[in-house]
Amino acid sequence: MTTKLAALSTTRRRFLKGTGAALAASATGGLCLPALAQAQEITIISNLGNAQQREILQRLATEFEAKSGAKVVINNMDHEAHKTAIRSYLVVGAPDICFWFSGNRMKAFVAKGLFDDISDLFARENYKSVLGATTSAVTVGDKQYGLPMGGILWGLFYRKDVFAQHNWTPPKDWKEFLAFGEAAKSANLVPISMGTKELWPAGGWFDHMNLRINGLDKHIALMDGKVQYTDPMLTPVFDKWNDLLKAGFFSPSHSSFGWEQAGAALAQKKAAMMDLGGFVRSAFPEADLPQLAYAPFPEIVPGVARYEDFSVNSIHVPANAKNRQGARDFLAYFYKPENLGAFLAAEGAIPPRNDCPPSHDPLVNAAVEELKKVVATSQYYDRDTDPDMAQEGMTALQEFMVKPDRRDQILGRLEKTRKRIFG
Amino acid sequence: MSRLWRRNRHWVTPALFLLPGLILFGTVILAASIETVWISLHDWDGIGAKTWVGLANYIELADDPQFYVSLKNNVIWLLIFMLAPPIGLALALIVNQQIRGMRILKSLFFVPLVLATVTVGVVFGWVYDPNFGLLQLLFGAFGGTAPALLSDETFVTFAVAAAGLWPQIAFCMILFLAGLNSLNDDLIAAGRVDGARGWRMLRHVVLPQLSQVGFIAIAVTVIGALRSFDMIAVMTSGGPYGSCTVLAYQMYQESIFSYRFGYGAAIATVLFVIMIVFIAWYLNGLIKAERSNA
Repeated sequence: MTTKLAALSTTRRRFLKGTGAALAASATGGLCLPALAQAQEITIISNLGNAQQREILQRLATEFEAKSGAKVVINNMDHEAHKTAIRSYLVVGAPDICFWFSGNRMKAFVAKGLFDDISDLFARENYKSVLGATTSAVTVGDKQYGLPMGGILWGLFYRKDVFAQHNWTPPKDWKEFLAFGEAAKSANLVPISMGTKELWPAGGWFDHMNLRINGLDKHIALMDGKVQYTDPMLTPVFDKWNDLLKAGFFSPSHSSFGWEQAGAALAQKKAAMMDLGGFVRSAFPEADLPQLAYAPFPEIVPGVARYEDFSVNSIHVPANAKNRQGARDFLAYFYKPENLGAFLAAEGAIPPRNDCPPSHDPLVNAAVEELKKVVATSQYYDRDTDPDMAQEGMTALQEFMVKPDRRDQILGRLEKTRKRIFG
Repeated sequence: MSRLWRRNRHWVTPALFLLPGLILFGTVILAASIETVWISLHDWDGIGAKTWVGLANYIELADDPQFYVSLKNNVIWLLIFMLAPPIGLALALIVNQQIRGMRILKSLFFVPLVLATVTVGVVFGWVYDPNFGLLQLLFGAFGGTAPALLSDETFVTFAVAAAGLWPQIAFCMILFLAGLNSLNDDLIAAGRVDGARGWRMLRHVVLPQLSQVGFIAIAVTVIGALRSFDMIAVMTSGGPYGSCTVLAYQMYQESIFSYRFGYGAAIATVLFVIMIVFIAWYLNGLIKAERSNA
């Protein structure tokens, strides 16, 4: 009888234990695994959409595990969903390393004290000497809060075979661009492939037109909220954009789909050009990659120097990370020129370090060469302005692309938002 | 001790039984709602310090064109969702027939309820896709071009709400099926004796017995329509240019994307006030029903 009771109570205790563990596991959702495991564990949240890059990160993590004895856990998230998730996980349940974007978007978190100051890592590994001017992308008030990752040079991409077939050359100025658009249309191609479901491609197009018409200083002043959205300096930008819209330069019903589908249209020879970064390659089948080529956005106002959007991704240690030292050690390994070079080559990004091995990708090498001709750079609409402003702004630009007749009303609304945010 | 217990047990026992539920309801629902109202009176980015702004968020809301777009879309959702109870009833009456193969049909109608709403949203997103969607294939078969429903500011809300309607109809159907199974056989037999059949049987004998279920179906549908959020997030992210947002989605967008938790809380409070009207009506109905049963 007693034995029976004892057996019963054990099972119940075991059951309770089991339930408790299951409850704890489901409540923490895997993010808080370090609490159960040994101290030497490094968690990474990645937002990488590129399968090859995820593989390389995993390989580097395994190599690091073998070398250091620490355990590296990588949690992959969808790229767009990560943009939302980071705001909560930086506060509650921070990993030891996370991917993000340098510049203003990084500063928003630095201002809230959510990213760790890693100037010590910069000094220890002497990064400033190999990064040069790129250091500024992750610097706030003389301190570094992240490591710059691959750079994306924005511009127009096209297929060489399609251009050769029609005897086209990439348009150099606005007149050529308009003529090119007409030629593309008569060849039954969409001149500019664009998908604005995720809004930002419309912001990028605005950037490129504004940089070509008003130049960098005025553009940055607008991004900083110092110029009104109703300012006459923007009139030619929207006038010319309106001409393109009226002439049907962009993909029809572009707000239904995202950039991947727009990129596929370019790859499938349904569109002539597309405004994007080197990552457009992921929309191309391997065999078609040699056909992909870059051309700078055409000149609009003669005499305006060449400014481009050059956005730099970054990698950070959250201030609430549990293993900040381990995170630094892993970053130092990850950031070695050969490792970083391999990682960035997979996405066709431009390495920030000047000692990375030269790329085998002609697109990357072309972009590196192009960058030398660029006078100065901004990052991108939603990386240069306040996040609140960016959200309203990109929505408004998408609306303008669909309903150009509402221009005054749209700009009035943007100006109201600008005033609210920047005062 | 025992006298104390005897004197008080008539209220202690129920109180103890109610306590866990009350605590949960109090913290998760009541306290959170009150805090939302409190936050709506502040300017807050969700992380830093709160600044008291009084009613400024509400004043701005009254002047926000996006707010009226959301409000209008909520009404559209509500009207479209009102189709769910009658269609669900019709389906339930059909599937309830004793015909061979009806069980398969019944389970087919049941399918959308098994799927997560997000899945339904993604699938409908494909159906509506202007390039390769089912809708385009249908139109293409007749030599036409399907409208890009999700990029058209006038149709987009209808298109998304139609996707949301599908699982809602299945849900109403289940409710009515359950109701049909608990019909009083005596009443039906009595009706038959009196010569009622077909439409008159349905109208005067069956439907009155389903009024309780119908009431629940309508109330749940109203609340479901006002809660609509996941479909919009998956299918359009509120676009094109915010023309298919509803209050719940706008609240999410303001709080999460624009870091404006105070403003988002103000939208949530307005939505809460609208919902409370329906909830009060629902509770009132429930209490009435309970009294008439007792």
